[in-house]
Formats: sequence, structure tokens, C-alpha cells
Amino acid sequence: MPGLLQPCERPLMLSQIAFFGAVETGLIYGLVAFGIYISFRVLDFPDLTVDGSFPLGAAVAAVLIIAGWNPWLATGMAIVAGMAAGAVTALLNVKLGILNLLASILTMIALYSVNLRVMGGPNVPLLMQDTVVTWWDSLLPPEYYFLAPVLLFVVVTAIVLVLLWRFMKSEIGLSMRATGANPRMARAQGIATGAMVVLGVALSNGLVGLAGALVAQSQGAADVTMGVGVIVIGLASLIGGEAVISPTSVLRALLACVVGAIIYRLAIAFALNADVLGLGAQDLNLITAILVTLAIVLPGFRTRVQARMTRNKA
Amino acid sequence: MISADNLKLTFGKGTPLENPALRGMSLTVNQGEFVTVIGSNGAGKSTFLNALAGEVIVDSGRIEVDGQDVTRLPTHKRARRVARVFQDPLAGTCEGLSIEENLALAIKRGQRRGLTSAVKRSYMERFRAALAKLNLGLESRLGDKMGLLSGGQRQAVSLLMASLTPSSILLLDEHTAALDPKTAAFVLELTQDIIAEQKLTALMVTHSMKQALEVGDRTVMLHQGQVVFDIAGPERKGLEVKDLLDLFEKQRGLEVEDDSLLLG
Repeated sequence: MPGLLQPCERPLMLSQIAFFGAVETGLIYGLVAFGIYISFRVLDFPDLTVDGSFPLGAAVAAVLIIAGWNPWLATGMAIVAGMAAGAVTALLNVKLGILNLLASILTMIALYSVNLRVMGGPNVPLLMQDTVVTWWDSLLPPEYYFLAPVLLFVVVTAIVLVLLWRFMKSEIGLSMRATGANPRMARAQGIATGAMVVLGVALSNGLVGLAGALVAQSQGAADVTMGVGVIVIGLASLIGGEAVISPTSVLRALLACVVGAIIYRLAIAFALNADVLGLGAQDLNLITAILVTLAIVLPGFRTRVQARMTRNKA
Repeated sequence: MISADNLKLTFGKGTPLENPALRGMSLTVNQGEFVTVIGSNGAGKSTFLNALAGEVIVDSGRIEVDGQDVTRLPTHKRARRVARVFQDPLAGTCEGLSIEENLALAIKRGQRRGLTSAVKRSYMERFRAALAKLNLGLESRLGDKMGLLSGGQRQAVSLLMASLTPSSILLLDEHTAALDPKTAAFVLELTQDIIAEQKLTALMVTHSMKQALEVGDRTVMLHQGQVVFDIAGPERKGLEVKDLLDLFEKQRGLEVEDDSLLLG
């Protein structure tokens, strides 16, 4: 690891910029992982809408910023757009009885067209525009420009984490957790489980829309293809994080999302950086699939080994 | 008070598997009454309870709770008046949530929920006092996950949750059937205590004729989606399982084939 803030002369494994770039992307994908935690874990609702709501958030924010909106307001609208997309998926499932996974695929496909319409083309560049990142740029000395998005995303992710944690502990949040864990019991307690699914999936996609808006602003463009595989990356972060921090409480589960997302990004960066492995950007999806598989299999493997050890002792 | 008037419900209408589960079921349970319900498999016991709770909506007929028509209301809109304990001890609670979180869900049954903290400090005393009555030592384990408890313990907590806030009727769906005999006896005793102490109106489905006569103050037998007899007061006092069987055969001119009704 290079010295944190000194310019490093000979990067041993990762250059400083690659390192902070990985942390930056990791923090944003932490938001995606929060969303996937709500849909997959809290509600037990496998939701692939995120592949569409991520570029939707990016598209809405980019178009509004180009139109002269305040970038924070534009980012807020991206959240609203993401929530609307999530609500559509949930309503297809709750009101029309379409299988949850299929409902989310339908919305995701539809969003591809919607995103092209919103942007009026396959992408919207944000060069030389005022974004939520540029204000943070001005806070730092120019040679540390690459830290600005990291600082911004640390703040955003921390705020979202605390809000989400408080929400999950609230009466409505607890009802949402009960809806996912035991819908029959939840109904018997007077919880409108359908409404909880709509709210939860909307919230989940709102967070993903936020992540999309932030990525567009830090990378300087919204692109219709930027959502491809977001679901897998988010799941990889979630599952990887759970393997490191066992999610015995809501707070730990949320922390696991962020930690998992950063570890995932660092692992990808190392894999692409290490020349010995001879990997390139084109191998990203293969590496992701391998990492996800390892993250799912390893915890089970560990308990099996432990079981064998105790058996031998006995 | 709860009243069901001429309930009819057919599953799989228009298919070869058409199954008329309720065929004109009528029953009125008065305030403070504890009614036990028996009947062989397929008599419509569970369907009747599900219809009262709102899990299934009847094809025709009318259900009133405290004089209010709830026939078309979904489960969650009836929950304020209708409390329920399921047969499966795992069904009444959430294993991933702590004991206090489960109780916090129940204390708000049928009421508006907001963004304030779900597990409030002001609840704690009440939770501890309620749990202490179970004599299971759970009052010191409020933060433990529900999944750490045994089936019997979870059923006891389910019962507690159902009686934490007032209801117009408590529905018990063979809630001791999945427990071992000792635990079943404990949960049944607890049920009687709670119902007596809070003067609850209750409807208990049971598979055991013996239990149906020993517990509660009125017994109803269902057969083919209808009430075939309804017995209470002094008439019921001297009744034994054998008499109940005779009564049943006389009423219907049928042999009881279901052995499980005789056992237990």
C-alpha cells in the first residue's frame, strides 16, 4: 500500500489514484448494496430493476444539470425517478400478481427505452458543468483533486447509512422487515404487506438512482449502458460484506454493504493491476462472477472445516 | 362478538378439483365466550378461521365483528379486532427479529405505525411483566433473536403477542397440535389462563374431542362446511367423548371414520 497522502514514486501494487478510485466507486456501490439489501434481504424480493434505475438516476441528474438545475436538486430528482421505477416493479408484482423477478425484468427492459428518451440519445456528457463533485473540488488543494469525490461519497454514504439504520428501527421499518420475514404474521399484525413491498422496492431503487446520479457526476457523463451488471456488482458487495461482517443486526448488515462494496472494488483493482495475472478490463465480468462464487461458497466451507475439526477432537 | 352468517366458499370453482369448503356456515360467538371447534379433516375448520381472519374472502354470506361488516376486508384491516395464533409455532413470530421487536410489532396490532422508534423504552416494563408470567425466563432475554427459542417457547410468545392488545376475538388454530404433549399441555394451560384473566372472546380449533370438551364453555362441531351441532351450558358439562361421537352419528347418520378424532 502506498503512503496515503504522499505522492508515491514506485507504485508497488496500486497507484494512489487507482486506490482512491476504487474506494470512491466502492462507496457509491455501497449505496447500490444498501438498495439490494432492502430488496433481497429485508423484503426477500429479488429485484433486477436496479440495472435500469441506475442509468435512470444518471440520466435524470445529467439532463437536469445540463438544463441548468442545481446539481443537488437534480440528484434529488434522480432519487425520485429511481423510486418511481421501483414502485412500478412492486405494483406489477403486488397488484397484477406477476412473479417478482419477472416484474423487475419487465421494468428493467422498459427503462432502457425510457433512459434513451430521457437523454434524447445514448449518452449525456457533463464536462465543464457544475456538479455535486465540483464544489468539493474547490475545498481541496489542486494536487489532491482525486480526493474530492471520495470525501463527498464518504459523507453521502454515512448520512444514508444512519438514516436507513434509523428507518429500519422505526415502526414502519420494523413492519417492512416483518413483511419480508413472515408475511402471514405481518398481515395478522395489521401490516399492509403489499404497501410495504411497494415502499421498500421504491426506497431500494431510489438509493440506486442516487448512486447512478453520483456516478454520472463524478465520471462526467451519463450513459445508457452504465447499468449493465449493476445488480451483480451490488450483490457481490452485499454477499462479500456479509462474509466479512456477519449481519447479526441491521447496523452490521448496512456496514457490511459498504465494506463489501469497497473490498470488491479493491479486489477488482488489484486483479486488473497485477501484471502477473495478465488480466485486462475485458475480464471484469469473469472476475466478478468468480468473486461472487467465492463469497458465497467460502463461509459454508469454513463451517464445514470447523465441523470436521471438532469431530476429530471428539 | 363475532358472527358468521351462511358463509359459502368453494375452492377451485369450475375445475375438476372443485372443493366446497364452506357450505352455509353460520355461527355467533358472544362477548366473553370461549368456543372450541372440532371436526374431521376437510370439515372446514381452518377455512372457517381463515375466512374470519380475512386470509380468504368468502363467495357469499356475511361476517360481522362487533356489529361491523368485515366480509370483504383484507386481513390487515381486520387485525385490530381479530387476533390470531397459528398451528405452526414458527408462523406466529419472526425468527430473524428479537423477542422485543416481535412484541413491539404485536403491541401496535391494527394501529397506525409511524417513523418513531419501534421498540420504545416505555414498552419494556409491560413486555417484561408479560413474559415473566410464562415462567420461561424470557423476561431477561428481550434482545435475543426469536429463532433461538424452541417451538413451545415461540408458541407461548405468539399467544402472548395475540393478547397484548385488546381484540374482539382471539382465533386459535390447533395451536397446540404441533407441540410435544408436555409443551402442548403448558401452552393450553397458558391459553386458559390468559383467556380467563383478560375475559377474552375466543374460538379454538382442536383436533382432540377430549380437549374440546374440557376446555372452554361451548363446543361446536363442523362437518362438510357446516355446523352440525353446537352445545353449551349444563348439557355440555356431563358430556364425554363417547357421547359426542354418538351425537355426531345421530345428527348425520354417519360413521366417524377419522381415527384422529378419537385419539388424544
